[in-house]
Amino acid sequence: MCQVEEEYHEQLERVDTPSASKKCVKCKEELAAVVIRAGDAYCRKCFRESFIHKFRAMLGKTRVIFPGEKGVSQNAHKKLRFFPGIVYIDEGGALGQCKEMRQKTTSELCDMFRSTGFPFYILPLEQVLDLPGSVLTPSPLSDQPGSAYKAAVDLFLQRGDSSSDGKAEEQECVSLPAVQESHTWLLQQLIGSAQTLTAKQDLLNTLRQHLLVHTARTRGYSKLMQGDSCTRLAVKLLTSISLGRGAQLAQDTGFSDCRYGDVTVVRPMREYSAKEIAYYNHMFKVPSVVIPNLDTKMPDKASIQRLTQSFVTKLQADFHSTVNTIYRSVWTEVQHHCTAKTFNLISGLVSCSNIFKYLEIKQN
Amino acid sequence: MAAPVAVHLEFGGGAELLFDGVKEHHVTLPSQSEPWDMKQLLVWIQRNLLKERPELFVQGDTVRPGILVLINDADWELMGELDYQLLDQDNIVFISTLHGG
Amino acid sequence: MPVLCSSCSEKRAVLKRPKTGHSLCKACFFWAFEEEVHRTIVAAKLFRPGETVGIAASGGKDSTVLAHVMKLLNERHGYGLELMLISVDEGITGYRDDSLETVKRNQQQYELPLKIVSYEELYGWTMDAIVKQVGLKNNCTFCGVFRRQALDRGAIMLKVDKICTGHNADDVAETVLMNILRGDIARLRRCTAISTASEGDGVVPRCKPLKYAYEKEIVLYAYFKKLDYFSTECIYSPNAYRGYARTFLKDLESIRPSSIMDIIHSGENLSVREGVKMPVQGTCSRCGYISSQALCKSCVLLEGLNRGLPKLGIGKHHRLHEKILSQQPLTEQEERKLKSVDF
Repeated sequence: MCQVEEEYHEQLERVDTPSASKKCVKCKEELAAVVIRAGDAYCRKCFRESFIHKFRAMLGKTRVIFPGEKGVSQNAHKKLRFFPGIVYIDEGGALGQCKEMRQKTTSELCDMFRSTGFPFYILPLEQVLDLPGSVLTPSPLSDQPGSAYKAAVDLFLQRGDSSSDGKAEEQECVSLPAVQESHTWLLQQLIGSAQTLTAKQDLLNTLRQHLLVHTARTRGYSKLMQGDSCTRLAVKLLTSISLGRGAQLAQDTGFSDCRYGDVTVVRPMREYSAKEIAYYNHMFKVPSVVIPNLDTKMPDKASIQRLTQSFVTKLQADFHSTVNTIYRSVWTEVQHHCTAKTFNLISGLVSCSNIFKYLEIKQN
Repeated sequence: MAAPVAVHLEFGGGAELLFDGVKEHHVTLPSQSEPWDMKQLLVWIQRNLLKERPELFVQGDTVRPGILVLINDADWELMGELDYQLLDQDNIVFISTLHGG
Repeated sequence: MPVLCSSCSEKRAVLKRPKTGHSLCKACFFWAFEEEVHRTIVAAKLFRPGETVGIAASGGKDSTVLAHVMKLLNERHGYGLELMLISVDEGITGYRDDSLETVKRNQQQYELPLKIVSYEELYGWTMDAIVKQVGLKNNCTFCGVFRRQALDRGAIMLKVDKICTGHNADDVAETVLMNILRGDIARLRRCTAISTASEGDGVVPRCKPLKYAYEKEIVLYAYFKKLDYFSTECIYSPNAYRGYARTFLKDLESIRPSSIMDIIHSGENLSVREGVKMPVQGTCSRCGYISSQALCKSCVLLEGLNRGLPKLGIGKHHRLHEKILSQQPLTEQEERKLKSVDF
């Protein structure tokens, strides 16, 4: 049926790719090394600066993370005002990986995480089977008025340098506790009971999210940071729509998600494209480990998630504004002021993780 | 050896545009060692009947999404789809849902 | 091996319903399809007894099935409606003249009054003539804007209370996807509505009784009922971007048939930020049709066509409206900008 009560020429016109050997748009001196959006070509140095600035601006602007009592010095010129921790959920059991394979992956991750100096937790997805039902009940949110943020900043600045040597604290490391074979078998039964890959991926996401929230809660973190880029969020958004989950869209893909009450999920990487992150990791040698997922090497039509991903990727190649437009359509500024304990997570795909995913908060 | 199979093919809903606008085709599929199934029929149609833009009719080894298939007036989803084995005098209808409203 | 109908368990099933997965025979399918449309009409309270309802008829599958089902349900359930067909003749040789023949046959088959409103008569321009001037890139804008008004004018001439259109579930789902891809939040929220309230004088309320009917079922309904419909795509429709959304939707449906309903459900429940700025509705100071600007979109497009400045209505040139109304001349630069047309 012809449906043309609409126009969409302006934003959808194809953009020409800029030519090579262009000067950086920022310093106008160095030769450009990365094209972020059409027309925006940056040199290495400016790319790095803008990348880092964007992250800080995101946290500052949204005021969702409060300064903690102690600070960790991240860069010489800028202090990190919160304590991060890292969590990784090993899904090898759900994917049918052998013990040796899982151990090999986790030991690589362990080395990588240890080098950050932050506490980290590597947990098997099997633990989700032991979670209490209460994980689904949102705990009451300690509601802080808007001015609390400013007060916390002042407090932080007053105490400032005296207590900023946060590294004095012992690094807490939890690396893959032993998994009972019967648990792995149960998990596989559970995943196997979902008939389609679409349902399996959906189930796996839910299980992972529950374990993450539970871990944050029990370890005393109030924020859960996820590294989703805007590319991934655009895919997530369209997937959610296709799965009939429009009502949860804002929480699923917005900057912060307060559904769990005491633990807020934040997505500070949502202004970065997958390309920016990949370039940053590559150029500045951010260590990463590639771990296969349920849909790795699957054809496009294997699942709704997979199809959506390939659709968005192809459309983005033809129309450069696709990802931005999609994710801005539901750009919600849910700004809940939650407490200042935060937690970082590295979810399944560590391949696109980067140093910022390791920056996180833990209060005292 | 399976004997040749005579089938009646019909294209509608706009799908006929890919076949020079001809809606009905009486064809005889040559004898071959295995029995004819829908999968092979699609290959045969593509080689012998399709006039233009094959991607608008077949994708991969099946019909393009949005084209309905009826075998003897029943939805092919009830008949085993690509694995359905053709019988002499079968009536196969392809209707595009992608044109007009 | 024939599959038996899962409803009557007697006759041979002829289709597998994408919505429910049930295998049904012809008679049970017809009944289920018609009664679902009936339930949609009742649940959304689309009509009131005694109303005159215009069916927007294009001669295509959706509007043909709509006309057939509306007539049937009106009699079966005693809606007490007076039904009429309204067709728009865009003036596209080889497309519309053929489909109008189908509509004229429908008129006789269903014994319903028919009103044809043509672009030529309303605007003095046929689509063929417009395409000659504006090219293929933006012609759908003209056609869409003109059609909306043409239907309203036809409805007013026929004195109908409501118009119903043949939009089906696939169309609605596709529009949800399109609006997301275009970032059009205001339309995203509106596009799943089953009916529009009267927006003002000159605009007749519209509704979509087939909103929850799958395209597949509509096509099969028409096929098994041997309904007379016309199936050719508009010869001027290049709409590549919608093509992407449509392909994606059909692929989704092939993975999980309920996707179409899931997308509509998502659209209906979208929790996007409140307070999106909506344009204030007023009326066009030239023709009196509903408009958020000084001039309605049709009048701007028409002005552009008549002045040989086809780009006037494409893109944002609101500030020129006052100039046009007071008949001030445009500057050379403005003229140049509005003249260029990409073919």
